[in-house]
Order: sequence, then C-alpha cells, then structure tokens
Amino acid sequence: MNWRLYRSPAFDELLEGAGEPRAAARPLVEYLTGLTAAELAARRLASELTIKAMGITFTVYTDGRNVDRAWPFDILPRVIPRAEWERTQAALKQRVMALNCFIQDVYTDQKIVKDRVFPKELLADSRNYRPQCAGVKPKGGVWAHVCGSDLVRDRDGTLYVLEDNLRVPSGVSYMIENRMVTKRVFPELFETTTILPVDDYPAQLYETLAGLSPRPGEVPLVVLLTPGVYNSAYFEHAYLARQTGVELVEGSDLFVADDDCCYMRTIYGPKRVDVVYRRIDDLFLDPEAFNPESLVGVPGLMRAWTRGNVALANAPGAGVADDKVVYAFVPDMIRYYLDQHPILPNVPSYLCYRANDRAHVLEQLQNLVVKPANESGGYGILIGPKSTRAEREKFRELIQADPRNYMAQPVITLSTAPTLTDDGLEPRHLDLRPFILSRDEPYVTTGGLTRVALVKGSLVVNSSQGGGSKDTWVVDVEDTA
Amino acid sequence: MLSRLADNLYWFGRYLQRAENTARLINVNTILSMDLPRRVELGWEPLVDLVGAHGLFAQLYEANGEDDVVRFLSVDDRNPGSILSSLHHAREALRTTRDYMPGEVWERVNDMFFYVQDKGERSLGRARRHIFLESILDCALGIHGLLAFNMSHDVGFHFLGMGANLEQADMTTRILDARSTRAIPAEDGASFEAVEWMSVLRSLTADQTYRRHVRSRVAGTSVTRFLLQNREFPRSVACCLLRIGATLPQLPPHEAVERELQRTLLMVQNVVLEGLTGPSLKQTMDEIQKGLLSLNQALSSAFFRS
Repeated sequence: MNWRLYRSPAFDELLEGAGEPRAAARPLVEYLTGLTAAELAARRLASELTIKAMGITFTVYTDGRNVDRAWPFDILPRVIPRAEWERTQAALKQRVMALNCFIQDVYTDQKIVKDRVFPKELLADSRNYRPQCAGVKPKGGVWAHVCGSDLVRDRDGTLYVLEDNLRVPSGVSYMIENRMVTKRVFPELFETTTILPVDDYPAQLYETLAGLSPRPGEVPLVVLLTPGVYNSAYFEHAYLARQTGVELVEGSDLFVADDDCCYMRTIYGPKRVDVVYRRIDDLFLDPEAFNPESLVGVPGLMRAWTRGNVALANAPGAGVADDKVVYAFVPDMIRYYLDQHPILPNVPSYLCYRANDRAHVLEQLQNLVVKPANESGGYGILIGPKSTRAEREKFRELIQADPRNYMAQPVITLSTAPTLTDDGLEPRHLDLRPFILSRDEPYVTTGGLTRVALVKGSLVVNSSQGGGSKDTWVVDVEDTA
Repeated sequence: MLSRLADNLYWFGRYLQRAENTARLINVNTILSMDLPRRVELGWEPLVDLVGAHGLFAQLYEANGEDDVVRFLSVDDRNPGSILSSLHHAREALRTTRDYMPGEVWERVNDMFFYVQDKGERSLGRARRHIFLESILDCALGIHGLLAFNMSHDVGFHFLGMGANLEQADMTTRILDARSTRAIPAEDGASFEAVEWMSVLRSLTADQTYRRHVRSRVAGTSVTRFLLQNREFPRSVACCLLRIGATLPQLPPHEAVERELQRTLLMVQNVVLEGLTGPSLKQTMDEIQKGLLSLNQALSSAFFRS
C-alpha cells in the first residue's frame, strides 16, 4: 500500500506525517506497505467470513422486526504505546475512585455539597438521583463496579475524557471478539510485535462480581440479568454469561421471597442468588420501587438489596454521576476526595445553569457541541458547525427552558486512523472506550473498544448511527536504534 | 438448570414434533385420496377436527375443501397449530436456548422456518405439495439427528425429549381417535377399512414395522393395539410414555409426575381391544388424552413453575 496520498485532517493515531509511522505503529505500517490492495481486500473478506462464522452480531430494531446484523469491523488495528497506556490506566483508576466516593457521599452525608465544592441545586434537579438509595452503603463503598469511559484525542494530541458511563456500559464483548478476529486475519503481525492480550476481562469481571457476595465463604451464585433476547446488547449479555460461567437470567427467572432474599427459579426448586450483574436500567429494575409498568424487572429486588441480602452491580443510583453536567465536576472530585491532581483532563465544558456560561453558549451555538445531561447513544445533540439555523433556534429555546439539563463543549476534531474503505486506506475519526472494574484493586482493560465513524468526515462513532470498530493494540515499543 | 430454560427446551421438543406430525398428516391424506375411487368423497375436514381447531377453521374459512384445509394446516399463521406457527414457536423457544444446543440446530430451524414461510404458499397444490412436505420431514429428521449425536445428553436434552415424546403420544391418540369416528361408509359391499387403516399406519411411518411385528392383515384391532401398546415402536403411545419414564430418574424426583405417568401408562396397557370400535374407541382415546394432559400439567408445575 502507498501512503503518499494519505492525509489526516486531524491527529492520526498511526502516522506522524506523510507516510511516517509513529514508533509504536512502525511494524504495522511497514507490514501494510508490503501488501497489495488485492491482498488487503482478501484479508477483509476473511474477517467478514470469520465474523459471520463466529456469529458476532448486534441487534437492530427496524420495521417492527429484530434483525441480527453482522458486527461492523475494520481490520486495521489502532495502536497505543504501552507507556502512554499505563498513564491512561492510572488516570482512569483515579477517576473512577473519585466517582465512587462521590456517589457514596451523595447518598449519605453530602459533604461535598456542604463544603461547597458541588452545587446543591444540581443534585436536587438530577434526573438520575434515586431517593430510594439514600443511606445505603454497598460493600467497599463501590457503586459503579463496571464503568466504560469514553476517551477522545484532539488535534494537538491531548487525550480527554469525554464521558463516564456508569449505568450499563456495553461493548466489552466486542473488544474481545475483535482481537479474536484479528488473530485470524493477521496472524503474522503477532510474531513481529508484542501485543498485550485483552482476553483476561471475563475472569476479572467474575472476580469483581463474586467478591460482592453477601455470604462470603460459600461459592456465590452470580447471575447476569438481561432484559431479554430483543435487547440490542443481548449478544454481549449471552457472551459474558458464557465466558464468566454465570447464569443468564431474565426478570421472570428471579423472585424476592418474604425473607427479603432473592431466588432463582430452577428445576431443582428456588436457589438463593448472591450477586446480580444487571444489564437493565435502574428504572426497570424493580416495579415495586421504580416504574410499576416494568415487565423485565424483579419485584422486591431493591428491598433485598437495601437489606444487604443481594449485591447489585452496578448499584442502583450510580447513574447520578453519569450526567454530563455532573461530569464537569469530576476534576474537582478528584482534588476533593483523593487530594490528587487529575491525570487526564476533561473536555472544557460550559454549564448552562451558570448565567455566564449560558450567555456564552447562546452566543456561540454555531461553534459548540450542545448536549443534554442525560441522553446516551449520541441522541439529542446539536453539533454547531453542522447545524441549521432552525436547529439552533430550537436548542436556544430548549436551553432557556431547562438550563440545568444542557451543557456545551468546543468541537473536538477526533483523531483518526487508517481505515480500509472502498477507495483504499482513508483516515476515519475514532474514540476509545476502556472499561474499569472497581474493587479493592481496580482493573482497567488493556486498551478498550475503539469505535470508528465509518462515514467519511463523520464524528459520530455510535454503532446505532453508522459506527464500526477496530481492534485496539497496546504494544511494547522496542528500541530499534 | 433454570426453569425457564427447561420449559423452553420442552416446548421446543413439542413444537418440532408437532410441525413434523402435521406435515405427515397432510401427506398421508393426500396419498389416501388417490387410493379411493373418484366418486368417493374423502373429507379433509376431519384433519381439522383431529388437531382440535374446528371452531377457528370455521371462523376463518368459508369453504372446507382440500385447498382450504391444506392452507390452514400448513402456512396459515392465524392457526396456532399450523406447521408455520409451530416452527415459529420452536424458533422463539430456541432463541433463549441457543447456547445450550449445537449451533447447527439454530441454523436448521431457521432454514426450515423461512422455507415454509417463503415457499409454502406456492407449494400447496398437489403437484408440489409432496416435495414441500418431504423437505419439512427431512429437515425435522436432520435436527433430531443433530440433537441425538451432537448435543450433550444432559438434563436439558431430557426435557427436550420428554416434550417430543409427549407430543407424539398425543398425536398418535388423535389419529386413532379420528379414524374411529370418521370411517368412510362402505359401498357396494366393498369396505375401505383396510385402505384407511393402512393410511393410519403410514401417517405414523408405522406400516413396515407393523407388518414385521404383527404378521396379519391390516385391521382395526391389531393396528390400534400396535399403535397404543407396542413397547418398541417410537411413535406408539406406550413406547413414548416408557421413554419419558426412563428419563425421570435423572431429574429431581416429583411424586406427582411419577404418579400421572404410571396412571396413564397403566391405562394404555390395560385397554381391552377386542370389540373396541366407534364410540368406545373414541372414549378410550379421550381418557388417554386427559391422562397426557395431566402429565403435562404435572411436569409443568414440578419443573417449570417452581
């Protein structure tokens, strides 16, 4: 392949400039240089067949039918040097520790509010604050056992944290499957480069979950609670259950008895459940405590949890910190709870509840990205430079009507990596979602899930909106001097 | 094992068996109609009665000719017992039990479902019907083969097998029941009895085995005895029940299940066949079906609704 025509409009993860690879990516880039377009196309075909044969799918709901689509995957990996990754790992651990402290504090003493580090009114208006959780102290003070944080790199190479997903983050199964596919498609590359393995995650996840059991000493009964086969992430639920050896259950498989313990219905009769890794949103978790219409939840589960008879991961109410306005305070939380300097910065944020910020946002709508506090999946966002006048007017009204629930950030030109398109290798924008497991000694995945916007020029990486993914390599850079 | 999983495996077994049996029924009735003189009107409606869908059929269809009945039983998704609906239910039950079975089972069931959905409508006429139904039977047998040789014979497999056996026992009694009440009247002294009983055997692929076992001409009493009480032929009622009995020791013990099974099995084994015709045969079949229903309920409350 010829790199002469490859020009990135942003920071490129593999190439420093016209055909010049970054140190960590040198063996990969040199290898690709030696391949013809036809050879590369053959590898792509092999990856598609592998994905089909391995049955890696995600579910899309269209026209009243659920369709399993093959997972969109780009065969060219994204490379991260080990030293940079170690710093990022430390930053993520620091961040999630502070977030867990914050959640625990919010549901108990609210010291951070009393000390005027976090504004009281933000808490009062938080849509993800659950009064049902007040006073609860989960084991080890951990609320967000599994966190998926999104990292982006701007034009100057600075790595930012864009958001922290503390409710039911997904994607980790694809991180592992992507590596399986790459091993089949580019086996030679594993001989010339030391690529750190990623498949340790299921074992680490199991350790984290089993450690939450309220009945230490016995082999805990751990279950993964899924909304069911029609959920878009069902593939991942089934995958993780299989890989960790926990039971995959639906709400109707569980019940809470008069003793406030949670049980699973089996052919041998009820079996007491110790840990529920729930992949259902808070509001559907327990019709007794939250949405009474929920059919996928378990009546009484909150009762069992507040009595300490069953562990829930993530804990209900953890989403209070998964709010794009609360997000802006994470660096303050790190200083307040840990007395440390934040290792990775946040993207600069303007919070519309502050009069000055709001005035700035309303004036600069055309140059900013405006986000609602509580949406995910890339929905409900205004991308200023690409917006129409009518859209901006709509957001102006939305912001003025509910300033608490809007925030804005400058447009980040996400970094790129070479991606195989129908027109050959082209730069495409991407982000990175590592997963962090919280327990006594936190664990961070090696790399994470790289999501890539497959549409030329697009900055939207969500799989529901035309995004794909890449394998993510953390590599040892060897001195070749 | 989760109760829901066991429940789904059990019903997967039942629905797959139901789809297969329904295809067989249509096939055999088609062949029988060719054996009869042209002036003899072979009713198709008895097939609808046999699957217990008389009311629904009358609601949905104005006429009750061959085309209507065949459509209703094979590709009509408004009929919960049609081949298409049975495969749909089997597929839904399989969605959540996929991890439990060899991957090819899911592919085969999918292929089979889409084949019936996409090709069914154009395959109902006599010219194509046979190949269409044979393909369904082949597919079903292929799946049974995969299950027998590629699936671990663990507790889940036993639930699947119990579903298939109970469904088969039920269908066999229904077929006997239908023949007892709907005999074609004799004409010019010539009875069609032998032809009809032959078609009963064929619809259960029992004709060859019957000949080898019974070594007498095909007659009502001996066919009924064979299909009810033979302990070795897999579609006879006693054999189905004995197979269920053989799996029970490998499941957690439940007295009610054991009791219902023994009660029904005794009933089947003690039927006095001499002189059993028309109304008395019908009554006996009704009793056995009630026994099967109680067994189904006992299984359900013992394992699936714990």
